[in-house]
Amino acid sequence: MLDCSCLFVSSMRVPDDTGQTAGYCTPMNQTSPQIQMQQVMLRYATGKTALSGITLDIPQGQFVYLTGESGAGKSSLLRMLYGGIRPTSGLLMVQQLDMRETRETKIRELRRRIGIIFQDHKLLFSRTVFENVALPLRVQGWETERLIPRVRKVLEYVGLEDRLWSYPEALSGGEQQRVAIARAMTANPPIILADEPTGNLDVGTARRVLDYLMGLNRQGTTVIMATHDLHLLESHPGRLVQLHAGALVADSHG
Amino acid sequence: MAEIPDQVRPRLPGGFRPPPFGIQQFLALMIVCVALWALGVIWLGMQAAQQWVGGWQNDIRIHVYLDPEHKAKERSLREALSTVDGVDSVRKITPQEAAAWMQQWLGGTGLDRAELARRLPISFELTLDTDAGEFLFADIRDEAARFSARVNEEEVQLAQAHHWLGQISYLVWFATLVLALAMALIISNTLRMTILARADEVHLMRLLGAREWFVRMPFIMEGMLLGGGAGLLAWLLVWPLIMGAAEWLASLQVDLNGLLLLPPLLLGGAVVGCLGAVIATARIESPDSPD
Repeated sequence: MLDCSCLFVSSMRVPDDTGQTAGYCTPMNQTSPQIQMQQVMLRYATGKTALSGITLDIPQGQFVYLTGESGAGKSSLLRMLYGGIRPTSGLLMVQQLDMRETRETKIRELRRRIGIIFQDHKLLFSRTVFENVALPLRVQGWETERLIPRVRKVLEYVGLEDRLWSYPEALSGGEQQRVAIARAMTANPPIILADEPTGNLDVGTARRVLDYLMGLNRQGTTVIMATHDLHLLESHPGRLVQLHAGALVADSHG
Repeated sequence: MAEIPDQVRPRLPGGFRPPPFGIQQFLALMIVCVALWALGVIWLGMQAAQQWVGGWQNDIRIHVYLDPEHKAKERSLREALSTVDGVDSVRKITPQEAAAWMQQWLGGTGLDRAELARRLPISFELTLDTDAGEFLFADIRDEAARFSARVNEEEVQLAQAHHWLGQISYLVWFATLVLALAMALIISNTLRMTILARADEVHLMRLLGAREWFVRMPFIMEGMLLGGGAGLLAWLLVWPLIMGAAEWLASLQVDLNGLLLLPPLLLGGAVVGCLGAVIATARIESPDSPD
């Protein structure tokens, strides 16, 4: 739960009906980066090297675009950040956790403090929008009655408050993407990882999706977004990290 | 306060909420119920047999009768019976005691007890060792025949029935274990199908940081409910059998207690279901689980 020592306090961090606020506050030093990589290398069991020699610091509250050709290592890097795979060598610290050494239970705890928007949405089509969006808080033990106002508030933010009880298959691609964004932000995580969230969307819808992510970033959330859509940087500037064949080739602030 | 439309029932996964009941679960429930019912009937049969054998379980006694005209052989017979391996003690039943027992057995008729005592054979009561050998009864028969006496064959049959019941109970325990394992595997298989159908949900919950017990608990709950439900159903289905056979059992002086079956069927079913769920959830693989 948030308290006054939290690094960021935002209007989106809405209290629920019990007066409590969803989300995490990581007691972090302002000067230490939220994500720290030093000579990170990732080699899959097949022998393919997905990432090599990545050195990168991402402080709290940045909006980072991760770009590069297909197979450059963007998705692998994002997977490493939420503990889906462990680096083969080097140092990767996420919220002070050494991702090479830390135990699975600690990784699960970390995931509760990270919002993830997947490339394929990973929505549960047999469950309603409410059930999908409520899932991050449900896994933290929230009961249904307490979840409804929270989920409603989050869906209001992405303009889907009237689709609370709809099923994802009844939604358009853009709406499904917004549900995925709503799910990622439900627990007020300090970090949001987005893997090509605008990949299959038209320009207008993609801009709107990016507006939501920018809005979250303005409230203090660190957003790391893998994308091919470089034209979005014109309207939504951010730090640009470019990968090529698993190596970091450019790092510029927009 | 949040409002939920009437036709909507949110079903959030994880924790102590089992997955919804489907046709697979129904089939598993029926199969496990039949298996538990069969076990219940077998154990009821054991209970009936043990009641029928009655007091023989702990105090095995055989009676040997010698007709009064062979009274001269009484002492020799007693000594011979005492030497049979497996006979713990030999007691002569007094004519008065035998007559009193006979009078009681005949329902307190107006027979003259002294006259009855005079007509009854000389009776010996043999107390046997609990670990009596295979040929004990043949040895007793041989000794009795040698002195023109006879053995109460019904008592011998009951004593032999007791021996066989002991052997059968091992078989029944073995059958119980085999059936329990089979039931656990049936429930496990059903749960595997449920887990496969919910693989995306399990994967997503793990990605969102759910604790492992939170992910697995619904399946454990489902296994326990399936087993426990099947146990309860099996117990209910045992009653028609008990009621149908009540008259015949009463003629054998057997009074079955069906209530005794409820705890083992209910708890046994739940334990078997839990075991099946543990087997099913032992390996739920998800991508993005580095360990």
